[in-house]
Amino acid sequence: MSAKARKVAVAAVTRSGQFTVETDGLRKEYDGLVAVDSLDLRIGKGLVYGMIGPNGSGKTTAIKMLVGLLRPTSGGARVLGESIPVKANTARIGYMPQEMAVYDDISVQENLGFFAGLYSMDPESARRREEELLRMTDLADRADSLVGQLSGGMRHRVSLACALMHDPELVFLDEPTVGVDPELRAGFWGYFSRLKEAGKTIVLTTHYMDEAVRCDVVGMMRQGVLIAEGEPAALMERTGTTGLEDAFLAFAREGRA
Amino acid sequence: MKAQRVLAVARRALTGLRHDRRTIAFLLLIPLFMITLFGYTFGGELQDVKICIVDLDEGADNQTLSVIVVAYLTNSKTVKVTDQPSSLDDGIQRVRDGDVWATVYIPVDFSERALAGAEQLTTGQPLTTIGTVTVYLDNSNPNIASAVSKEVYAAVQAVAGIELGLYSPIALASEEVYGEDAEFIDFFAPGVMGLAAMMVTFMLSIITFVHERSTHTLDRVLTTPVTEGEVVAGYAMAFGVVALIQSTVILVAAVLLFDIQIAGNPLLVLLVIFLLGVGNQGLGFLLSSLARSEFQAVQFMPIVLFPSILLAGVFWPLEAVPELLRPISYFIPLTYAVEGCRSVMIRGWGIGDIWLSVVVLVVFAIVMLGLSALGLKRRR
Repeated sequence: MSAKARKVAVAAVTRSGQFTVETDGLRKEYDGLVAVDSLDLRIGKGLVYGMIGPNGSGKTTAIKMLVGLLRPTSGGARVLGESIPVKANTARIGYMPQEMAVYDDISVQENLGFFAGLYSMDPESARRREEELLRMTDLADRADSLVGQLSGGMRHRVSLACALMHDPELVFLDEPTVGVDPELRAGFWGYFSRLKEAGKTIVLTTHYMDEAVRCDVVGMMRQGVLIAEGEPAALMERTGTTGLEDAFLAFAREGRA
Repeated sequence: MKAQRVLAVARRALTGLRHDRRTIAFLLLIPLFMITLFGYTFGGELQDVKICIVDLDEGADNQTLSVIVVAYLTNSKTVKVTDQPSSLDDGIQRVRDGDVWATVYIPVDFSERALAGAEQLTTGQPLTTIGTVTVYLDNSNPNIASAVSKEVYAAVQAVAGIELGLYSPIALASEEVYGEDAEFIDFFAPGVMGLAAMMVTFMLSIITFVHERSTHTLDRVLTTPVTEGEVVAGYAMAFGVVALIQSTVILVAAVLLFDIQIAGNPLLVLLVIFLLGVGNQGLGFLLSSLARSEFQAVQFMPIVLFPSILLAGVFWPLEAVPELLRPISYFIPLTYAVEGCRSVMIRGWGIGDIWLSVVVLVVFAIVMLGLSALGLKRRR
């Protein structure tokens, strides 16, 4: 998608007011340390939203609050229209944790089958979905391997497939492309585009800045604070930079000043 | 609670075990090992305890009563007479040297005094003389010492009964209401079964959940529609099934190897074991939240297992537990499981008779699972 087309699309979503995720002063402290500070996000429906920032900037904590694994210290959020912690909408949400969190004592296919069971999928559509995701993640010939015997990158792909198994409307992907080789990473982004075309919303975190350029909207996080948000091209324009990495550094300096 | 999701959780847990051949082997072999080892160790009576006899009896009236004692002990299975030293000092030295567990000393005047005593009794005089046999014991093992004393006492009684024709005017008769021909193995097989089920479900549960917490799979699963209760129920089902399979192996092995009695319904025994397994799965889950690593989890095992092994009536009856500690016994679920299984297997009792055990175990299971589900609900 060209920068211009993206601008139009983002503007359209923003005007429509259709947000899949809205947070309102979301804040999380651990033992006096502020991990996320008054986060106000509006994530439009059908967009790819990228949260970028260094380790410890609060990306993962924010996502964990949105999927209901952490309780905010203050503030709140609505995910698919339901206040967190989400209960009724869990079947419409997919989540891939940073830690991969797949069962290493069962096979790839059994992992997918387990998640299909948790989402009460019927066996026929579960089987079709399994095939599709195994192909997408290039794991078809390892379907019967125990996950514990796979390489780190492969396990990452299994984890991604598990998050997408039930064809969710909104999917949170915490570092989905870490340890994935460039060729396959390109494949992932192709798949994300297809999901987006199908009207799904993707919220992902990454620290590959070159990758973040492919997002519709990028939120830059630093020390728990959202320091900038916007389309990648607009963020670079505002800082007079040519890359998101430089843009991030510029915003970080601005914030400190 | 949705059955499909509970089953998905249970199936996943069992699939994980199924792929792990070594663990399966452990799950099946450990109980077999336990029952075999315990069976052979405790199952037999004491045999061939070495003793020696110092027989100095010179006899009286052409009778030497010590012959009977010696013959009795020589033919005894419990003791084995190694030799007959010629002096008491030699005999005692044999005990001191650890060659024998006891020396039976029959003095020179044994027959003389015994016969005189018998004479007094038959002629209606007051009894003033009796023949005495002294046992010099190595009491460092009270079990062995008491078995030897009992055997020597029986030998001396044989002299009184056979040779002197003296019988006690009082007799004790016993009839077995339950447990006809029951041996020690029948008593402790139900105990070992309960103990094995408890150990395995607790161990599987605590290790599994510590692993699930450290790999974050538990968190991830809870972001899906599955509820905390369904996760707990699914695992309870899976590990309950493991306990059932294991108990069946123990039961079959105990019947085949040791010919134990199962007077009641074996299915009732399995029900009790299942309930115990489910409850301990919950206990393992609860304690898993206190352990940061699998290594720490293992440290919990003795804390939980030792009181159960010692106080739940597995190897000795509750009556043998000191009164001070007995109240603790009644707080240990294994106590009720073992009592229930034992009553069914030896006494042939039905569910109406062991209802207390069943109720306690059901309550234990419900409380443990309920607390587990609540523990999962608590978010940071």
